[in-house]
Amino acid sequence: MTRGSLIWKNLTRSRLRFALTLFAIFIAFFLFGLIQSFDRALNAGADIAAANRLVVSNKINFTQPLPLSYVNRIKTIEGVDMVTHQNWMGSYYQEPRNFIFGFAVDPESFLAIYADDIALPPEQAKAFINDRRGMIAGANEARKYGWKLGDLIPISSNIWEQTDGSKTWELVLDGIFEISSVDTPANGIYLHYDYLNEARSFGKDSTGTIVIATQDPALNDEIANAIDTRFLNSPFATETRTEAAFNASFIEQLGNISLIIISVVGAALFTILIIVSNTMAMSVRERTGEIGVMKALGFPAKTVFALILSEALLLALIGGSLGMGAAWLMATVTAGVPGFPLRLVLYPDIWLMSLGVMIVLGLLTGLLPAWNAYRINIAAAFTRA
Amino acid sequence: MAENISEISSAPTPLIQLRDVSKTYRKSGTDITIFHNLNLEIKAGDFVAVMGPSGSGKTTLLNLLGGIDRADAGSIAINDEELTHMSESRLSRWRADTVGFIFQFYNLMPMLNAASNVELPLLLTRLSRSERRKNVETALQIVGLEDRAGHSPKELSGGQQQRVAIARAIVSDPKLLLCDEPTGDLDRGTAAEILETLQMLNRDFGKTIIMVTHDPEAARYAKRVLHLDKGHFIEKELSS
Amino acid sequence: MPVLLKQILSVSWIGLRSIPQRPWLSLATIFTIATVVTVLLAFLAMSEGFRQTLTGGGSESVVLVMRGNAEAELNSVLIRDQVALLNSAPGIAKKDGAPLVSPELYVVVDGKKRSNEAKVNLPLRGMNSEGIALRENVTLTQGRMFAPGRNELVVGESLLREFQGFDLGNIVRFGASDWKVVGIFSAAGSVFESELWSDLAGVQSQFNRGSTVQSVRMRLTEPSAIEDLRAYIANDPRLNVDVVTEKAYFAKQAEGTSDIILMLGWPLAIAMALGALAGALNTIYTSVATRSREIATLRAIGFSSTSAFFGTLTESLLLSLLGGLLGSILALLFFDGISTSTLGSSFTQVVFRFDLSARLLLNGAVFALVIGFLGGLTPAFRAARIPVASAFSDR
Repeated sequence: MTRGSLIWKNLTRSRLRFALTLFAIFIAFFLFGLIQSFDRALNAGADIAAANRLVVSNKINFTQPLPLSYVNRIKTIEGVDMVTHQNWMGSYYQEPRNFIFGFAVDPESFLAIYADDIALPPEQAKAFINDRRGMIAGANEARKYGWKLGDLIPISSNIWEQTDGSKTWELVLDGIFEISSVDTPANGIYLHYDYLNEARSFGKDSTGTIVIATQDPALNDEIANAIDTRFLNSPFATETRTEAAFNASFIEQLGNISLIIISVVGAALFTILIIVSNTMAMSVRERTGEIGVMKALGFPAKTVFALILSEALLLALIGGSLGMGAAWLMATVTAGVPGFPLRLVLYPDIWLMSLGVMIVLGLLTGLLPAWNAYRINIAAAFTRA
Repeated sequence: MAENISEISSAPTPLIQLRDVSKTYRKSGTDITIFHNLNLEIKAGDFVAVMGPSGSGKTTLLNLLGGIDRADAGSIAINDEELTHMSESRLSRWRADTVGFIFQFYNLMPMLNAASNVELPLLLTRLSRSERRKNVETALQIVGLEDRAGHSPKELSGGQQQRVAIARAIVSDPKLLLCDEPTGDLDRGTAAEILETLQMLNRDFGKTIIMVTHDPEAARYAKRVLHLDKGHFIEKELSS
Repeated sequence: MPVLLKQILSVSWIGLRSIPQRPWLSLATIFTIATVVTVLLAFLAMSEGFRQTLTGGGSESVVLVMRGNAEAELNSVLIRDQVALLNSAPGIAKKDGAPLVSPELYVVVDGKKRSNEAKVNLPLRGMNSEGIALRENVTLTQGRMFAPGRNELVVGESLLREFQGFDLGNIVRFGASDWKVVGIFSAAGSVFESELWSDLAGVQSQFNRGSTVQSVRMRLTEPSAIEDLRAYIANDPRLNVDVVTEKAYFAKQAEGTSDIILMLGWPLAIAMALGALAGALNTIYTSVATRSREIATLRAIGFSSTSAFFGTLTESLLLSLLGGLLGSILALLFFDGISTSTLGSSFTQVVFRFDLSARLLLNGAVFALVIGFLGGLTPAFRAARIPVASAFSDR
């Protein structure tokens, strides 16, 4: 027997109580892990952003159009390295509920500016660039709908309509891409802007947002100012933001999600804190006599204190690790589900954070009982027994 | 003024030496004096039974001798060490080295098996795992329970549990054993076995034993009997 | 049977009176169940509030016409010829001899949340006086209605509450044009209160929309008139449009978001409830363990094991009921009626209030009692099986 096994024996003396308390902690950390990775996945868009990329949108709102001519005018601004633009498609496959993030883009500049983020085999990229009616699709999307290279795929739009009144665009799948820069499922489709622009019945020669790569992130502010100033008094005033800020604004629109997340995780942990600290306190009260005996045998009070505190810490660490393990398992399982909208990943810092919370939980639940054990008077403990 | 000194030993220094010890408890507002200027000497290798009515101070005496409780005045020296001013942590270490406790209700840890219960005090030593195991085996052999090492307390009879408790008390080889009604919860036959074991420990291993008991039968196993009454000792030689 | 009932009652009473002997443990159980119920009710109230806000504004006798498959006003485009055709459709109610037909433009502008300055999408609706006549429950609470031909806004009360810069008299800049806030309106808390309204022609010209609109609202003479309207549209190839009642349109818009809230809320609440259940089981098992001698004694003097069973279950149910009650009070205090906003299906912010109805509170109470029942069940079986003899053994 060692001190470690003594702690373990004390902890597991009532199997039922141990199991119930462990389960409560398990649940709290399961939620903690899942919700943290969920929050991270929601904000993945902000992570994909490169430091030197800016997004130019209509100053009124990013859903308002910009004239296509702005693309060439922005190219001439000093410090701008590359420019591309994207037009929202409002696309879906077969039925409106099969909604797809779709953009009409200028393929060559689009692939150039996102070279580090979009992983597409060179021959597929070439095919896409050369095929006016071509499109590329995210691997997750392709898997979800069973699309294969070369397939002719009817993509519908709830916005754009062709001059013949049709709202369906027949596109050839020229490439399937992955997102290489962050852990996020590769969703969405991209088609040729020229094809959309020529065939659509209204909105010609307008686009949605213009993305630029600057020569140096240090020039970002200067360039953004230059762009916005140039178009300030035109009918289409612009607003230029970093890509990170632009992407983050989508999540902010949903409401204060992080507040909800903090509240729920906080409530769960608070609940568990109450349960565990009570159980620990009760357990120590019941062991008053035993602790007295241990002290009589020569165990110093600080050793007894350490034993009890270790018990609480061990409980929190075991329950917490099991919960985090289950969250990891859940995240892994969902990653294998085709079309699951988010990729949940338990990043190292989430593990680290959970470890911190486990230790805090262990300390909060163990300190008072350990202190009570520390103070137990041997003589008094005997008269009670 | 002078209290009756139980015995002036011929040995150079006695194992236990109490000088003018006083102890007062405060209970519901009134002071209850248990001892006033108590003196006592016990030499090494003695086996003393302490008898007396309830409230005569038997348990308080045991607590004082075991370093569990402190005297208000006077000095308590055991094995050449003065307990009165020892810090709590030194007192803990001293207890682990010098004293073995045997209780009426055995006080074994319910979640530990017999061997682990015996091993418990050894966790405070620097002994290696294998050395600890060897000591536990020896202690269990001495009390005749080597074949019950893996049993948990609730699988053992009362007598067996008390033997485990005795093994726990002797495993770290202390000089002094303090027994509080060790047979109080046992039937007569089992009690006799336990008392014989204590006698054997005193005789063959030279343990000094102080045993508090109500039972005159039990007291007969001791070398001498001290009667405590209202905080004073009255010695009676055994008439066996 | 009355004898058994009497036994159960007296054993329950004895059990309940022993609760103060375990004050912290019992309080902990109450608190944990309360927390779980509060979280559940918060989600239910959020979902319900969002649904109420959207469906509350929808009328059965107003139809919404959008381009086919557009799904939302934002995606739709209708040209002037189509609007003219709709003006002469059958089944449309008239006011002062003119048909109640409202062509409307729905554009998205930027706004800032008061709470965290987050930049969000707000809807600006351009329409004529028919549009206001079509909508019931709309009243101006401050200022006046916008005048045609000027860049003037009236602002919904909900929008004003959640987003900054739209107070009466303010000048708001959208892109390169300035707009003056001339009035504030209320619309019985419906989704219309999350909108900015202005004159159709002004919005068309400032947002470069020519003579196109995005939707046409029409008041029917009676709900069944929608069939005549559908037939009329089907017969004219120029009208490639969808017709839905406003009520159905809003119900569909509500569905997505309020379902997502529920899909998050219930699993979270259930997971937390499992944790609370563990706590409750712990408490009640401890109660049975500390009272086992007492229960055995009661059995020895003639009480049945059934009464021991129900006596234990009662303790658990009472604790959970108190927890549910506390949770409901906390939810009422902290969540009922709080105003917030989120992105709706129209890609603009919908302002809504958490709505904690009696029906939802009942849900919370039932949820608490289920935890209490499950938490008391197995300990109750243990209590019923305590051997009578243990009353006599001494330790």
